[in-house]
Amino acid sequence: MILRNHLQLGLPRRVVVYYLFFCLAALCWLAVGVVRVTQSVISSRGENAVLSRIGQAAAASEVDYVRHCAENFGDHISRLTADGRLAYCAIVSEEGQFLAHTSEDLVGKGAVPQRGTPMRWGNVEGVGFTDKRGRPMREYRVALKAKGQPIGTLHAGALEPGMWGTVRQSANLAPLAILAPLILIGTGAVVLSRQARPLALLEAELRRVSQLPIDKPTDPNPQKTHTAAALGWNRVVEDLQRARSTSGSEDAGAKLASLSQSNQSSADNIIWQQLPDGIATADPSGKIIRANCAMAALLGSGGDAASLEDANILHSLPVHDAQTDQSGLESLSDPAHLQRPVVCELSVGAAQTLRVARQPLRQQGGELQGHLWTVRDVTQQKLAEQMRDQFIDAATHELRTPLANIKAYAETLASMDEPDLESQKEFCNTINSEATRLARFVDDLLSISSMEAGSLSLDRQNVDTKRLLDEVVEKVRPLTRSKSLEFDVQLPAKMPELNLDKDKIIAMLVNLLGNAVKYTPSGGRVGLKVKVADKLLQIDVDDTGVGIPADDVAKVFDKFFRGNDPRVLEETGTGLGLSLAREVVRLHGGDIHVTSEIDKGSTFSVMLPIREG
Amino acid sequence: MAGMKRVLVAEDNAALARVVQFNLKKHGYDATVAENGLIAWQIATSEQFDAIITDQQMPEMTGVELCRKLREMPNYATIPVMMLTAKGLELELPQLREELNISATFSKPFSPTAVVQTLEQLLAV
Repeated sequence: MILRNHLQLGLPRRVVVYYLFFCLAALCWLAVGVVRVTQSVISSRGENAVLSRIGQAAAASEVDYVRHCAENFGDHISRLTADGRLAYCAIVSEEGQFLAHTSEDLVGKGAVPQRGTPMRWGNVEGVGFTDKRGRPMREYRVALKAKGQPIGTLHAGALEPGMWGTVRQSANLAPLAILAPLILIGTGAVVLSRQARPLALLEAELRRVSQLPIDKPTDPNPQKTHTAAALGWNRVVEDLQRARSTSGSEDAGAKLASLSQSNQSSADNIIWQQLPDGIATADPSGKIIRANCAMAALLGSGGDAASLEDANILHSLPVHDAQTDQSGLESLSDPAHLQRPVVCELSVGAAQTLRVARQPLRQQGGELQGHLWTVRDVTQQKLAEQMRDQFIDAATHELRTPLANIKAYAETLASMDEPDLESQKEFCNTINSEATRLARFVDDLLSISSMEAGSLSLDRQNVDTKRLLDEVVEKVRPLTRSKSLEFDVQLPAKMPELNLDKDKIIAMLVNLLGNAVKYTPSGGRVGLKVKVADKLLQIDVDDTGVGIPADDVAKVFDKFFRGNDPRVLEETGTGLGLSLAREVVRLHGGDIHVTSEIDKGSTFSVMLPIREG
Repeated sequence: MAGMKRVLVAEDNAALARVVQFNLKKHGYDATVAENGLIAWQIATSEQFDAIITDQQMPEMTGVELCRKLREMPNYATIPVMMLTAKGLELELPQLREELNISATFSKPFSPTAVVQTLEQLLAV
């Protein structure tokens, strides 16, 4: 029990073992001490007795020597040894002969003096020695005198009380000597156990409480013992019970439950905060209860959702522009519209459009609790719509113009009463060229459509670059000749073989050169230069044409973009060629850019990576 | 040629201008072609025409701008103006047509015969 409690308290087993070893060592030490004390007590008591009796025997022997001429020496000796305390007794004459001895066969024989440690007790001399059997002995010697004359010496040998002798002698004390320390250890253990037990119980109780799930709290049990720790614990338990009974246990449970729920909903919270649309809940007056980061960013609070709380969402909407369509705002602030969903679009400044949606939130009884607001930045969507409208306008125009010509010419041709051959031929040629233009536009449109769908694919093959460029030059040269332009072709002597879609690259280069020819006045110059750099083939198409205004340089690759310059507009064009050219170059892993100066000319540079087939 | 009605055709698409001019001439009109609105306005200020046929979408000056400028001049305040358009959208707006007093609009592709017939009706009034 004590060991278990100690272990429960967390004391290491080794400490307990050390304690027990310490107890055992103390016990042994105590036992040895007890034996020593007993031994010396016994020894000194026996010695005194021996000494007094030897004194008596000596006196009796001296009297006997005077009165009876030493007749009764043997009786004295016998009397001395009668109780067994002395091992032997003898009277030795001055000449060194045994006059009497407890072993009678030694009487008359010469005595051999014992050697050892000399000792003295008053008039008694002695020597400590070890006898032939190895036992520690003491020999007491008393000189005998008669009428002032020494007559001999009385010798008495006594066995010294040894360790084992003492133990044997004190055997009757053994039960007490062993039991007393055991009782002491036992008492110590009981006391320790009584001190440790409440702590161990307290510890076990704390562990039990800590392992309970947080949403199912139970009362901790009060301790039954009366130690200080237990009393303190019981006070805590009482306080807890009192607190719970006043606040209502259900309420506390609900609080704990909501705590744990808020833990669970932290994932929902992350989703809420990460949504790209601005989301907020607000009370019916528009006071924000909760908002996410996107809402804060859209309302211009720098992404700090907390700063929005308690602000009025209607006042937070960024409506700086006087051009803003106020009807949306009006429908949002109109109290008559509070009960139904409202969606409106607000322009912020000139560039941004926000779509604001407000959805009523109702309690179970149908009472309006507040609104869920979502704000979405639809600027990109608006731009895309604008682009689409622009595309449709441009496409319609591009389709209608040749169609109008074809129809007008065909009808005029049909209505001619007396057609002259020349007009007829001219009209038919016009119809033909307009139909070709229409067909080319439809082709471009299809290519653009595949490009948009990502299905514009390349049919790559290894191509001799020299031959490819020759083919391009061959196609362009008649155009330059008809417009009396100088066509300056500079090709390096050695060009690497390229892996590319031959038809598309040729069409792209012819288109670039065709543009150069188209927008360069007669007598100008059109150039085609090829440079081979490290892993890159650069094809420059330059001209001395009308040039592109700086504002338009970035837009020339946009679909349907055409400059406002009348010199550009008088030429036919769909605004698709450069857009397609860039797409083709990019599909090959290259890029195209343009530098231009108005009235000086333009240079389109095509970079194609040199890829080994 | 003294009795011939003079018509100014403002059209940037040369082929279309050519065929309109051809049809007008065939029906006995004296047709003058201008390549864009600005040129048309310059010609109109130096000569007098009985009717104007103009494209809407033109460089330099659009058909609507040309109309507005012509209507400010007393000698062009009431003559018939016909408009050709590839889009037709803006001129569907009735108030614009009313403001500029545009007699008729034709959206491309249109029939040249119908244009000439409408012109004949307008000039006969």
